[in-house]
Amino acid sequence: MSKLVVKSLTRRFGGLVAVDNLDFELGNGEIVGIIGPNGAGKTTLINLISGICMPTSGSILFDDKDITLTPAHIRSRMGIGRTFQLIHPLENLSLIENIMTGFLFSQGENKKKARLRAEDLCALMNLTDTGREISQLNILEMKKMEIAHALATGPSILFLDEVMAGLNSDETKEIIKIAKKIASSHNMAIGVVEHVMGVIKELTERVIVLDSGKLIAKGVYEEVSKDPKVITAYLGGAA
Amino acid sequence: MIKYWKYILIAIILLLGVLFPFYAGAYQQSIARTVLIYLVLAISWDMLLRSGQLSFGMAGLFGIGSYASVLLLLRLGASPMLSILGAGLVAFVVAALLGILVLRLRAMYFAITTLAIGEIFRIIIRNWSSFTGGPEGAILPNIIFDGDPVLSYWLVLGLALLAIVLSVIFQKTRIYFALTAIRNNEVVAKSSGINIFKYLVIVFAITSALQGMAGGVFAQTYGFVTPESSFSADYILLPIAMALLGGIYGTLGPIIGTVLLGVLAEYLKLYIPYGHLIVYGIIIICIIMFMPQGIVGVVRSKIIRREVG
Ligand SMILES: Nc1ncnc2c1ncn2[C@@H]1O[C@H](COP(=O)(O)OP(=O)(O)OP(=O)(O)O)[C@@H](O)[C@H]1O
Ligand SMILES: [Mg+2]
Repeated sequence: MSKLVVKSLTRRFGGLVAVDNLDFELGNGEIVGIIGPNGAGKTTLINLISGICMPTSGSILFDDKDITLTPAHIRSRMGIGRTFQLIHPLENLSLIENIMTGFLFSQGENKKKARLRAEDLCALMNLTDTGREISQLNILEMKKMEIAHALATGPSILFLDEVMAGLNSDETKEIIKIAKKIASSHNMAIGVVEHVMGVIKELTERVIVLDSGKLIAKGVYEEVSKDPKVITAYLGGAA
Repeated sequence: MIKYWKYILIAIILLLGVLFPFYAGAYQQSIARTVLIYLVLAISWDMLLRSGQLSFGMAGLFGIGSYASVLLLLRLGASPMLSILGAGLVAFVVAALLGILVLRLRAMYFAITTLAIGEIFRIIIRNWSSFTGGPEGAILPNIIFDGDPVLSYWLVLGLALLAIVLSVIFQKTRIYFALTAIRNNEVVAKSSGINIFKYLVIVFAITSALQGMAGGVFAQTYGFVTPESSFSADYILLPIAMALLGGIYGTLGPIIGTVLLGVLAEYLKLYIPYGHLIVYGIIIICIIMFMPQGIVGVVRSKIIRREVG
């Protein structure tokens, strides 16, 4: 049984079709790569699934329930978590308080419990000095906070939108390690959007490829990367 | 240790506040009552601002509360105390209904709509003379506690303390996280599981109830309402100037700003009876331009700089 089923999902922005009649499934505990050139519609797909943006047509099922019209905060409580490609930390809250919000509102913990669990999560992510203001964090810490914030909502599926972007290779390795740890310990399904193909190869079991909002290929990375359609899409995107 | 001193300080200020009528003259007491009324408006305005929502509805809700309490007493025979609670309830309901209608729009639309509440109710009240007393307003047969200044002062102080306690609760509980998250980024707030609409409607209704009760207390202690005085623009500009001066997004800032500007306002009213609103406008502009964090913010950053440096 699939955890998440996306059926003929379409989202238009004026004349532009950002996600075009897309079908996509995510199984329990599986890690899937979502790749495609810039503007392919990857972030829009995550926005649609997390309820930040509503589809023009099509439907989304989560645990067999139709959530197409469910508001974002309810989806977060149901177990759909996500990070943001452009990180917008809550700048008037400290590092730990940012992470606490997920425990407080998605998981309905009280303040004390939320703080304890957020501290545990920080320890897992190797985030220290958790009372710091956001302005004092470096980029790696910001990315870790972004992941921790998503984890704090208690997701059973998690979308990571280019969390490695802007990190060096050591930092990337650290995040990959964390992602693997999370996936195995929580039996969480993860959708990974990433431009660095090394990360996709290392982390995911299969990939889907989007181009201009359409799904153009799916399967294991090694095969998909040889698909002529995929090669043209990337070359076309680069040209 | 610092905590300990903080509580002693609060206890002393509280004691001085409660005993004020016994060591201050009648004139000072009347100023104190006015300042405390403004304190309720400034704090409640700030409490909603913490969610990023700018309200200009203080005069409207104050006026609605004033009229509600007077009319509850005159037309339904409610006791003065009950009529003040009724004023809060009426303001709560008006704000909740309005909030449900317009809080989905937010930002500018919300701010403008709150400005319109006062105007709409003022026009209705002016024209519905048979029920409201029309342009001349309405007078109570008796003022509350038969004009006993000590009890009246304690009533106003009690309402101000209620506003302060609610504001502290807003800062110390999950409400703080919800409002700050909504103010910082609504998309992230939603993704954290926060029901933005619910929080905004409830906070708008609660802060409006405080403003309505402030109107009710004012009407019961002065014994009259008129469309012009009860919906005065003073109740918009002054609380905003006070909160900005002291520092927004907290309890202490509005208190400090209200005490400073409230006392100053009394003198301004004496010396420039018609131009004092302009002075508040200038104060608001100057603070926004030169000291956006207010007094509390400036002091806090000085302390942090000393600790770091
Ligand atoms: N809110 C919006 N309004 C208008 N157009 C949008 C909006 N969001 C996305 N788009 C457009 O939809 C298309 C898909 O954008 P999206 O951000 O989903 O791509 P992406 O695959 O995430 O790209 P990238 O790899 O650069 O992050 C783009 O052409 C983008 O300009
Ligand atoms: Mg993107």
